[in-house]
Amino acid sequence: MADQGGSQHGIARTSRVRTEEQRRQDVEKIAKYRDLDERVRKELSQKRYTPETFQLTSKLLQLNPEYYTVWNARRRLLIYGLFSKPSAGSSPSTALPSSSLTATTTTSSDASSSSLSTATPPAPDPPRAGKSGTTADEGDGSPEQAEESKKAEQDNDLELIKQELGFTIPLLLASPKCYWIWSYRLWILQQAIQRLPIPIARRIWEEELGLASKMLIKDRRNFHAWGYRRHVVEQLESPELGGTSLVESEFKYTTEMIKVDLSNFSAWHNRSKLIPRLLDERKADDTARETFLNEEFGQIFEAINVGPEDQSLWYYHHFLMLNLVSPVGHPTIAPALTRETRITYVIREIEQIKELLEDYDDVQLIYEALIDYTLFLCQFLERKPDGSERAELVSWLDKVKKLDPMRSGRWADLERDCGLVEERPRMMTMAS
Amino acid sequence: MSSSNAGNRPEEVQLATSAHVKYIQSLDTRKDEYDYWLTEHLRLNGLYWGLTALHLLGHPEALPRAETIDFVLSCQHESGGFGAAPGHDAHMLSTVSAVQILAMLDAFDELEKRGRGSLGGRAQIGHYIANLQNRQTGTFAGDEWGEEDTRFLYGAFNALSLLGLLDLVDVDKAVKHIVACANFDGGYGVSPGAESHSGQIFTCVAALAIAGRKDLVDADRLGRWLSERQVPGGGLNGRPEKKEDVCYSWWVLSSLEMIGRTHWIDRDQLIGFILRCQDTEKGGISDRPGDMVDVWHTLFGITGLSLLEYPGLQPVDEVYCMPKSAVERVLSRYKK
Ligand SMILES: [Zn+2]
Repeated sequence: MADQGGSQHGIARTSRVRTEEQRRQDVEKIAKYRDLDERVRKELSQKRYTPETFQLTSKLLQLNPEYYTVWNARRRLLIYGLFSKPSAGSSPSTALPSSSLTATTTTSSDASSSSLSTATPPAPDPPRAGKSGTTADEGDGSPEQAEESKKAEQDNDLELIKQELGFTIPLLLASPKCYWIWSYRLWILQQAIQRLPIPIARRIWEEELGLASKMLIKDRRNFHAWGYRRHVVEQLESPELGGTSLVESEFKYTTEMIKVDLSNFSAWHNRSKLIPRLLDERKADDTARETFLNEEFGQIFEAINVGPEDQSLWYYHHFLMLNLVSPVGHPTIAPALTRETRITYVIREIEQIKELLEDYDDVQLIYEALIDYTLFLCQFLERKPDGSERAELVSWLDKVKKLDPMRSGRWADLERDCGLVEERPRMMTMAS
Repeated sequence: MSSSNAGNRPEEVQLATSAHVKYIQSLDTRKDEYDYWLTEHLRLNGLYWGLTALHLLGHPEALPRAETIDFVLSCQHESGGFGAAPGHDAHMLSTVSAVQILAMLDAFDELEKRGRGSLGGRAQIGHYIANLQNRQTGTFAGDEWGEEDTRFLYGAFNALSLLGLLDLVDVDKAVKHIVACANFDGGYGVSPGAESHSGQIFTCVAALAIAGRKDLVDADRLGRWLSERQVPGGGLNGRPEKKEDVCYSWWVLSSLEMIGRTHWIDRDQLIGFILRCQDTEKGGISDRPGDMVDVWHTLFGITGLSLLEYPGLQPVDEVYCMPKSAVERVLSRYKK
């Protein structure tokens, strides 16, 4: 399983012998932490779903944001204690408080005797009554009063949602790779959709794009933040939030991110995913699509010209080339290009890359690309490399083998697969 | 494959087996360290990491069997799922670790006798996991709160197949979901649309392997991307232009192994990198040379060395991340 946090990354190894002073401090910290943990467990086991218990979970999570069970307890505290009423989205679970709260998963009631989740009460008194000054059950039932109490409930929920969004920000800034904080925050945002009027919920979600951008300024490659951004965009585009497509602005965002840092493969990747939709929504005709493809080629080549050692750039170039030579089975940028045009473009790219060799004759990725694309061309034309191609392939492969002895096994396989050496058995058979 | 003489390289460090065994044994005795308490949410995972490392090092008895089983079972809920430690909520990640530990210890009989829930035993765990499948998309959530990730899909397949209960879930739909996570570079992400990431590639390819659908992997394209994860110095990184890290010796290498392309990287240089990350005196392996060790990197350093056939280590199964012998023993129960 991918990194779950809790493991050490990039922390220098120090002497593991602690001084007497350090040991004393540790003992103190442990006592404080365990005391707080005990208190939270006790409050929850006695079903005290109060703002005070809520405060205790805040303290505990500030000490340890990886403590997922406490994030769960906090969700339960909100649903069964602090929010105005169970949301429409969680209605099937009101009878079984700890069962699934999402439409997609249905776990059975999880009432183990050993868990904090046992603490879930069937129907606790809502302690927020004092805060909002009213509850849905009060009043004489006149339409005005119903309206008013609904408003009060929404205000209460809005305040809680904002408070939770505020609570998680410093934790995210301190632990940007902690899965639990990200998923808790998304859960809170989901509550906004379920409990607040659409325009208000929408405004909250819109602000999330700002957070995603901020996190990506701090770490341009943080895949949590990129994933979060895609998720937020998807929600903002959804009918649930009265949304419309954001593909143009998101595409522009990738352009900006790339301008700041050409090596940002996360941005190039997102761009590759946005393009098919972008062109569809622009209702781009065949000419517009061809122009678009050429502009992408122009832009990436310019970048490669400056930094041919950068893998990210070549991956994106490779993606564009696949659009030319492998037009079936996935959305492509310019599906209507004729066979002749495709061949012309592939040859144009190969020739341009060859010119790079004049300035950079010892950059392995250039030779790799030349080999790849020459083979692309042959495959596309359904023929074997001709005499001059074969000579070029041999010389490029020799170069790659010298520049990159680390992957000699791969180059040997490639040499054999292109028919450049005598047939011999593969070193390892395909495991499948 | 470059010829290797990993067994006698006087100028290089050797694997500090006994130090690593002592380090892993010491992990549960550190209750006077603050970190011990801060990492309680990883206790069951940590036990799996440590136990697997010990099995691969050839010291399966270094942790007491009966106490280990008692602890694992004490983490189970009535739902069948396991929490990270007693008092922690059930989650897919700890449930998978529990199943893997019980499988390694050949303790499924104990589970049948003592497991919680109305169905009891393996069936209750299978029920818990199967309920976390999203029947619309085929993927899996980590728990009742619904976070979805291909890590959980792999975990579900791993545990269910060890329990002989894979037919409780919609395997075809899950396979379709994995295919939707594929990218043009041959890799896979957390969910459809997400960037390729070595950890996620491992989970997707291994899940396809369990489903018997490795034919869906673009092995050449993925193989080249994975081989390009090796950087000067011999270590592997997780994505383009990132730093190398010992845990990717597992995610990248096991994926290469599953598609028959392990020889596309430099074996000796990777062995050298992992060995340089050891704390040879006090035991344990870190992400990079000179950093703090932890049990996570200790395991994935050792599994990496095992895949590279470093002498003296038990062979690791590239799909299950457990000793091959344990996987074969468990799976043979269900083969008729
Ligand atoms: Zn790592």
